Amino acid sequence: MNSREPHDDDRDNVGGVDNVGDSGDSGDSGDLLGRGDVGGFGDLEAELFALGDALDVPAPPPADVAAAVRARLSATPASPVTRPLKRAHRRGRRWAVVAAVVLAVAALTAATPQGRAAVAQILRYAGIELRLGGAPTPTSPGAPTPTALPGERAVTLAQARALVRFPVRTPAALGAPDVVTVADGGRVVSMLWPGGLRLDQFDGTISPYLWKQLGPPFPEEVHAAGLDALWIGGAHPLGYIKREDGTSVPLRQAAPTLIWESGGVGHRLEGAGGKDRATRIAASLH
Amino acid sequence: MESDSHMDDDEAITRSLDGDLTAYEALVARYSALAHRTAAMLGAADEAEDVVQEAFVKAYRALASFRRGSPFRPWLLRIVANETHNLTRSRGRRNGLTARLGAVADPVAPDDPEGAAVAGDRRARLLEAVRALPDGERDAVVCRYFLQLTEAETAEVLGRPVGTVKSSTHRGLARLREEVGGELA
Repeated sequence: MNSREPHDDDRDNVGGVDNVGDSGDSGDSGDLLGRGDVGGFGDLEAELFALGDALDVPAPPPADVAAAVRARLSATPASPVTRPLKRAHRRGRRWAVVAAVVLAVAALTAATPQGRAAVAQILRYAGIELRLGGAPTPTSPGAPTPTALPGERAVTLAQARALVRFPVRTPAALGAPDVVTVADGGRVVSMLWPGGLRLDQFDGTISPYLWKQLGPPFPEEVHAAGLDALWIGGAHPLGYIKREDGTSVPLRQAAPTLIWESGGVGHRLEGAGGKDRATRIAASLH
Repeated sequence: MESDSHMDDDEAITRSLDGDLTAYEALVARYSALAHRTAAMLGAADEAEDVVQEAFVKAYRALASFRRGSPFRPWLLRIVANETHNLTRSRGRRNGLTARLGAVADPVAPDDPEGAAVAGDRRARLLEAVRALPDGERDAVVCRYFLQLTEAETAEVLGRPVGTVKSSTHRGLARLREEVGGELA
């Protein structure tokens, strides 16, 4: 021990860990910072408290954490005591998703030829709400300056995998993404490549999250390379739907996009150029 | 959310047990920072965010087993500590204490860079010494001083008897004094 004279009496207390009444030392064992003293280590304790106060532990905003936890709890049973139902519940949900997709595709097919443009129709597909009809898209007034998704932040791919609860995949047809972001409390992972190429993967088991305002050309079904997808060949306004109150928030004018659902995960691939290249990239996800 | 932030823990728990996720969200937001601090300081390193999310999800599912009327904070932090230990065990190593002293604006003496440097150096040595403590002693010291938990809370969080917490803390303090000396900067 390296301690100097005034502290030698601390040695007497080494065996006595109760800080009440067993300290015979001279004076300073009092109620330092109101937190008591352990066997006459008051000065060291004060230093430790101060050190603790000075330590910097990075943490995300509490509201983000709360939203992420809520999103995870919403995707599983609602009540804290319904745990045994979890598995069956999830399977039911999966079927509901499949049914919704089938219905959406059927509706899309039924809504075909002429006259369609006049009918404002809403399709929900792979976690995306498609608002069909209305104004021709390219010059729509609903496209503001590009806005980020709520809570969107750049992370590493490994961090993204840890932050979301669905498996995150990457397309073998492209190199490593330039930027990876996680948004909305772990609900969405986005990967960006040069030239405006963007892949969004999001929890598709919950209610629609993104919306697209579509006029002609209408979405086209794509069945290729084991993929059932929709190709949206024109530029169109894109936005997201606020979970709290269902408000539609415009994000930006999106380039032609392929959307599909796989394993409960919604996907949208934007900026890949033509339908064929988009399909090829989508099929290379692993 | 305005009214939710005024709920006390007990009311938030009651409502959460009824399946009110907004009430639980308020509880998560309230304890998020402390939970992150606990996970990081008990060794979760850069995986603290995962650990904390997982802990809050588990806490929600275990809420029915929470003994009403007892304090929520140590009950929650015990889940955080357990998650942290599961993680470090699965990883096969422990990162110990992963807080950074770097970004600290030292309040000691802005007009006295030399004195501030000496104090800063002593702090850094003390932190190193805490990092180097044996696991049990370090956990106790971290809980008591860095997280400012009481002995009883520390015992609950670490799942150890109060007597063990007292003796671990005391042994840790003795070792720290040996390492950094008794002088105040």
